[in-house]
Amino acid sequence: MSAVLSWIIIGILFSAGVYFVALLERWSMSGRIEWSGPFHSFLQAFGQEEIRTRRYDTVFYEATPVIFIAVVLLSITILPFAEGTVILDLGTAALFINAALVYIMVSLIMAGWSANGVYGMIGGWRAMAQLIAYSMAVVMAITAAVMRAESMGMLEIVQSQAPLWNIIYQPVGFLLFYFAAMAMAFLPPFDLPVAEGELAGGAWAEFTGTRKILFRLGRLLLILTLSLAVSVFFLGGWLGPWLPGFLWTFIKTALVAASFFWVGRYFPRIRHDHLLEWGWKYAVPAALFNILQVGILLLL
Amino acid sequence: MMELRITLLVIMGLIAIWFGWRVFRTNSMVRSAFSLLASMVAIGGMFLVMEAEFLGVLQIMMMGTEMSIMAIFMMMYMMDPGGLGQMDMKHQEKPSIVVAVATGGLALAVILLTKWGRIISEAPTPAQQNHDLGIEIMERSMMLFESAGFSILTAMVAALATVLIIHNNYKKEN
Repeated sequence: MSAVLSWIIIGILFSAGVYFVALLERWSMSGRIEWSGPFHSFLQAFGQEEIRTRRYDTVFYEATPVIFIAVVLLSITILPFAEGTVILDLGTAALFINAALVYIMVSLIMAGWSANGVYGMIGGWRAMAQLIAYSMAVVMAITAAVMRAESMGMLEIVQSQAPLWNIIYQPVGFLLFYFAAMAMAFLPPFDLPVAEGELAGGAWAEFTGTRKILFRLGRLLLILTLSLAVSVFFLGGWLGPWLPGFLWTFIKTALVAASFFWVGRYFPRIRHDHLLEWGWKYAVPAALFNILQVGILLLL
Repeated sequence: MMELRITLLVIMGLIAIWFGWRVFRTNSMVRSAFSLLASMVAIGGMFLVMEAEFLGVLQIMMMGTEMSIMAIFMMMYMMDPGGLGQMDMKHQEKPSIVVAVATGGLALAVILLTKWGRIISEAPTPAQQNHDLGIEIMERSMMLFESAGFSILTAMVAALATVLIIHNNYKKEN
């Protein structure tokens, strides 16, 4: 298959993936599959009046939605869809994805601060507390995956899983990365920064119209990107029998995304002090144990 | 190619300086912190232009978290964090100008008096750089990094112990 054709198919599959995630997001709230739901909410937000708060911070307010979606797009560029099908093959890709996604939190703080509203600001600072809770787990889980591949390149990380996927080789690392990815995308039960019903939308509370669309679209892309990252780091990426590589990537990504929402639907929202406590008291020792276990397995 | 890189390097440097200047031109603590973040990200961009990929990505990653944490501390301890109360945020203006000029001059002297050697036209590949950095940390600089790590850990434990004393006393009283 020619490279151009496979890129076109990947593009179509990716757009379908975004629609799929949007469907799931609505399902996780209402429990029903509404096929036209995402289009309805898009049109509703598109036709909405642009309301701004009093004395808002212009630069932050206008820049935040753009930063949010830009960092997600940046992190997509380094994730491989199939063997050799990656937009940017960085030598430090495993670190880069983390570096890019830190700016999700920066963007949420800027959003919360700029609108000059109480709920927004609490939501923004909660985003930072959440990052402090999950960032160690993410970095250490990635470190263990990198240790096995002996490279920070994404292609090498996937190829290192050819004998055995990382989910079996380092299950503790998988669990840590999985839940940390949910916290990174602030999905329920970790949706503290935007807590609907508690903070009335939190960091996004004062954003309406097209800016809100950018945030919502960026969030859908973020969920898809993180599902792709989970499948690349721990589920063997494109590896699989019979089907072409990129199809395996998308099947795994879709399953991970669906499981994110399934988990979120059946768990109550976590309290932020509990999140910090678990992040540091249990997740950090577990991540250190994981690194030790992988180190021993590698030396055997 | 070399000209393009040097042009990009100069642009990134100017962005870093401009945002560094913006830090002091605002009364809002959050704006100030995020201006510093933008300046640091531009420095990360300079590393990337100079093909030091690991350093660049690390700089951009670390500064995102660090500057946000700094922003919340500045908000907590300043009387007018939003800068909306028109308060004057400056103090000890003259001594700080003297110190800034002196340290700036010192930095310039170091830059001008150091023999930098010739410009390297071919940098090692990013993967090779990561490998070399790992060997460097595990061999020659190991003692340095280990002692730095140990001092940070000691500081963390000491800070927690201090907080716990206050926390426990508060519990007893109430």
